[in-house]
Amino acid sequence: MAGQADLTPAGSVGEEPLAVRLGGLCLPNPIIAASGTFGFGPEYAPFVRLSRLGAVAVKGVSLDPWPGNPPPRVWETPAGLLNSIGLQNPGVEVFCRDDLPFLRQAGTRVVVNIIGKTVEEYARVAERLEREAGIDALEVNISCPNVKEGGIAFGQDPEHAALVTRAVRAVTDRPLIVKLSPNVSDPVAIAQAVAEAGADILSAINTVVGMAIDLERLRPALGAVTGGLSGPAIKPIALRIVYEVSQAVGIPVIGIGGIETAEDVLEFLVAGASAVMVGTVTFRHPRRMEEIIEALPALLRRHGFRSVNEAVGAAWPGRSGGGR
Amino acid sequence: MGPKALEVVIARRELVAPEHVELYFSHPALKEAVPGQFAHIATVGTLRRPISFSRIGEAGEAAVLFRVVGRGTAWLAERREGEVLDLLAPLGRGYPPPDPGRPWCLVGGGVGIPPLYAALGKWGRGMQSMATVILGARTAAAVLMADDFRALGVEPTITTDDGSLGERGTVLGPLRRWWQTHPEGQVYACGPTPMLAAIARLKSPGGRLYLGMEQRMGCGVGACLACVVPAAGAAMPPWRRVCSDGPVFAAEELRLD
Repeated sequence: MAGQADLTPAGSVGEEPLAVRLGGLCLPNPIIAASGTFGFGPEYAPFVRLSRLGAVAVKGVSLDPWPGNPPPRVWETPAGLLNSIGLQNPGVEVFCRDDLPFLRQAGTRVVVNIIGKTVEEYARVAERLEREAGIDALEVNISCPNVKEGGIAFGQDPEHAALVTRAVRAVTDRPLIVKLSPNVSDPVAIAQAVAEAGADILSAINTVVGMAIDLERLRPALGAVTGGLSGPAIKPIALRIVYEVSQAVGIPVIGIGGIETAEDVLEFLVAGASAVMVGTVTFRHPRRMEEIIEALPALLRRHGFRSVNEAVGAAWPGRSGGGR
Repeated sequence: MGPKALEVVIARRELVAPEHVELYFSHPALKEAVPGQFAHIATVGTLRRPISFSRIGEAGEAAVLFRVVGRGTAWLAERREGEVLDLLAPLGRGYPPPDPGRPWCLVGGGVGIPPLYAALGKWGRGMQSMATVILGARTAAAVLMADDFRALGVEPTITTDDGSLGERGTVLGPLRRWWQTHPEGQVYACGPTPMLAAIARLKSPGGRLYLGMEQRMGCGVGACLACVVPAAGAAMPPWRRVCSDGPVFAAEELRLD
């Protein structure tokens, strides 16, 4: 399979069985707080030891401040959550001034999620971040279903996705993650285009577009009418896309979608993910990411894997299906 | 100190009105709680349920009083004494201590009443003569905690939409009269957003007004930006977070039209 040349050397990262290397991004474990669910870091610090996490992916950051969508912005659904935050953020200058200093001293790895309304805006955010220390990777968000321009518009066809990727690639040598949308007919085509355009890592999936009705008001439940579905409801969709994309591209994939337990993490690893992002479950269980990190070594052993890296892609056709 | 993840044992459960349940518990970390702050309580489903404290004691005794509105609160209403609740608490910014030199009016609508009772319970001693309480509800059965206020030495003025108890109408009538005679007064209000917006329009220029806001909430700690309300002025992004900037705001901080 195409990905193996890049994935195998990661086994040499050290003795630590949880350590992973995704291209140039080295993490002590594969558990990353998902963008949009963890603020800029300090919000969850009373409940979570940030230094224990593999990394923190911060809320999406744009060139200028974005207002986001009108409330209500969340609605609980069976086994899931609809949100329509709309990428509210204070802009990259305020982020660098007010939020990065905390993250730098938090002892974790920092992934900055970047957003834009134009290709140029994405590049300018990345450019501005080049002047800042303490950033371990950029995650280019071309897949938010809650904004019309930018966001998902760039994630829906291979050419636009490649344009954004190339523009950001041109201004940074940092590890570059591109976050894929499930709201497309052929995620593999977009993944391949993005990989060819210079992405080092893919993350998949962003939320699944949907809506809810508030029967009390007989209106759409969300202020923005539609929103992005997350939580266990979307896990099967995410697993399928991770499985397909990870086999089709030669770069590592970060799995996202409904992960709540160490077992969920292992499912994503054997489907082909090299690390995962955990989001919605944090709202109910702020400590869950730490609990997963604590549980993962024993779970790997029980399934015959000596390390995270050994589990990656174990469910692919032609693999023996385990580390035994 | 700050907020913590807590497990508390339900010491007492009371059905205080139809579909309204109050759960009592205690934890040393709740000694720090301020009236207007809330507990984010794990129930069934994806999100916790944010509920303001109805009582805050000096040794960490606390209670939450809520109305059954959906699956999560229905589950919570089924809990019994001895069962454990999983809380993040105390969260948010509560009411400031009242200015002892100003007449004080507490105005609550529906499940907005309990945090005001917590405020009078914490700060009311010696201020009974300065304090006015106005409680509003749709109907007599939904007027919450009136006897609790009486036990603190303040006879509440009650309004009901249907006139089944007290004055027919809303809290706005009695509040308008109070503000005419106490233009420098301080008002602590909590209730549905339209009620709070109407109260903000009544505010006398020399008075002070603090509003306990509600909004559909996600994380409860300021991370997800779900529970926003419109900010006053030219702030960009033009919002404040109910969970962490509030739930209590000075009226001047918000745009409530």
